[in-house]
Amino acid sequence: MTTWSLAIRNLLRNRRRSVATLLALAIGAASLLLFGGYIANIRYSLQSAYVRTGGHLQIQHRDFFLYGNGNPTAYGIANYHKLLQVIRDDPVLKDMVLVATPTLQFLGVAGNYEAAVSRTVVGMGYVAADVKRMRAWNDLHVRLGQDLAPFRLDGAPPDAALVGLGVARVLLLCNALKVANCPKPEGEPQVTGGRSLPADVAGLVEATMPSVPDGLPAPGGSARIDLLVSQTRGSPNVASINVLAAEGQGFKELDEVLVMLQLPQAQRLVYGRSPPRATSVMVQLRHTAQIAAASARLKILLAAFMPEQKLAVLDFELLNPFYVQSIQLFNTIFGFIFALIGGIVLFTVGNTMTAAVVERTVEIGTLRAVGLRQANIRRLFLAEGFLLGCVGAVSGALLALAIASTVNFAELTWLPPGSSEPLPLDIRVWGEVRMIAGTVLGLIAIATGSAWLPAYRAAKLKIVDALRHT
Amino acid sequence: MTEPVAILSGIQKSYQLDAVTVPVLRGVDLLIRPALFTVLLGPSGSGKTTLLNLLGCIDRPDAGTVTVAGCSINDLSEDALADFRSANIGFVFQGFNLIPVLTAFENIEYPLVLSGMPAARRQKRVIRLLEAVGLSDRARNLPGQLSGGQRQRVAIARALARKPRLVIADEPTASLDTQTGSAILSLMRRMQESYQISFIFSSHDRSVVGAADDLIVLRDGVIQSIRRKPFDQTERP
Repeated sequence: MTTWSLAIRNLLRNRRRSVATLLALAIGAASLLLFGGYIANIRYSLQSAYVRTGGHLQIQHRDFFLYGNGNPTAYGIANYHKLLQVIRDDPVLKDMVLVATPTLQFLGVAGNYEAAVSRTVVGMGYVAADVKRMRAWNDLHVRLGQDLAPFRLDGAPPDAALVGLGVARVLLLCNALKVANCPKPEGEPQVTGGRSLPADVAGLVEATMPSVPDGLPAPGGSARIDLLVSQTRGSPNVASINVLAAEGQGFKELDEVLVMLQLPQAQRLVYGRSPPRATSVMVQLRHTAQIAAASARLKILLAAFMPEQKLAVLDFELLNPFYVQSIQLFNTIFGFIFALIGGIVLFTVGNTMTAAVVERTVEIGTLRAVGLRQANIRRLFLAEGFLLGCVGAVSGALLALAIASTVNFAELTWLPPGSSEPLPLDIRVWGEVRMIAGTVLGLIAIATGSAWLPAYRAAKLKIVDALRHT
Repeated sequence: MTEPVAILSGIQKSYQLDAVTVPVLRGVDLLIRPALFTVLLGPSGSGKTTLLNLLGCIDRPDAGTVTVAGCSINDLSEDALADFRSANIGFVFQGFNLIPVLTAFENIEYPLVLSGMPAARRQKRVIRLLEAVGLSDRARNLPGQLSGGQRQRVAIARALARKPRLVIADEPTASLDTQTGSAILSLMRRMQESYQISFIFSSHDRSVVGAADDLIVLRDGVIQSIRRKPFDQTERP
């Protein structure tokens, strides 16, 4: 009979105590894993959201991220078509890159002159077909809160636009765009009764914009807005655009400001008749794990093919500090809970083992008398702590898997902070091998460690004192 | 000449009872002859258990030397002492001290496991010992399923498992009724003779005197008298 079989039998000797200890361990492990699974789902959801909208990597002027937000003319990428071609033709990137697409970001003022309202907005010019493909990315298998609506700019006319829900509300486009949850605000401005854009501004629009193709909604309809931006060298430019729909962006801050346009439309607004540029080239990869390799390759290509432009490759974590901060916050909370549960396990197993040593003092003396070394006594109690840890932590992992499956099956939703739409409440325990292994091994280590002191004391008992123990 | 199995020389041992030092053995000199049944007699508190603890190498003297099976144990490390006990000394305790989670078979087998003996040999030896103590049909019973006498038989078999040089039996009949106690005493005597192992048997009961080859009477931590049976002239000096 080995130390292990003796340890198992000793644990079975006082079943009630062993079961109580195992329950504490299992519940602790399950709680940790469920919280970890919840965090994992948030991490994957956030990551998927950022990768769908902005790609894994973005190539920008090296100062655009810090200084260029309001100045696309100074920080735009010239000759970006060449860059796109280089990326598409590169044999190394070919297997990694799903989409490489230019975007143009600018600041402007959107106005609904009929309603006498306007607001500052962030405009984004997209190649709609590329964005449609990017939105389909789901490498992390995140369950979506609602079916992704098709990107409505895809196949839409050149002057078409999408706006955030908040923009639609502020510009009083709720009826036209069928926006829900749009109560009549207090202090609503007086509608001008169909008064159109001032003649001087309207003239500017007509001078800079292409004519509207046949069959499209007539200008001046209820879903038309005017967009004013600062052009190269500071001159203003205005376009009348046709808002197709209001889309929830998942974050209220974005909903309040976003206007999405076709890239050519945005380029005409910002650059006029100058050569068009893009403020970023978004690169979406097949897998997030390819970021480092793709980034390294892109840097080589930029140095080789576009050395005259000071371009940088930024990953989505750098571009979205909120993502990193959220993950760090959740990781800190997880660590704190692990410390709490680890402390409970430490004292529970330590208490159990101390009681076992006291109960079995005479037995320890007997074993030592018949020739068991001190180290073997230590090993015996450590084995009992280790077994408690193993059974408790593994049971906890199984319990967590069962609870997570039940919760996921129930298809519950929750409203994350800052979000305007409820998201599925998924708990991703299954498949999170590192988290499960880390939690289980961590708790086993704590359980074994907490048996160390009682084991040490048991081994150090004087045999004659142990045999005399009553 | 056959060497003594144990020699105690100038042994002194005291215990600390709160702030008071209680002397238990006061300069004991003793020689235990091999392959004999030695009875250590004395009233409670006379130092019998302390003397047996020293002979069993589970305690160390404050002064004096202990030599068992030719080895001076004073300077041995704890591990060396454990190995030494495992190979040379068997114990039979008053409270039986069987491991409650092991069956009778496994309790007897345990010292053999510690010695690293192969399983097949272990099994043969344990079966023989169980037969010798009359418990073949109780091999799979846990100690809790055995009577006091049966438990002590298992303890005797365990003590003999490694064929030690010396078996220490500290009042092994004290927890048994008279009839069972006397049966255990007879068994131990028989085993001692058949295995030719030195037994040291402590008791405060004078009725065990008849079983002794050598009788040592201890009182107040000193040896009061030693009565030895005459040596066999052909084998012993």
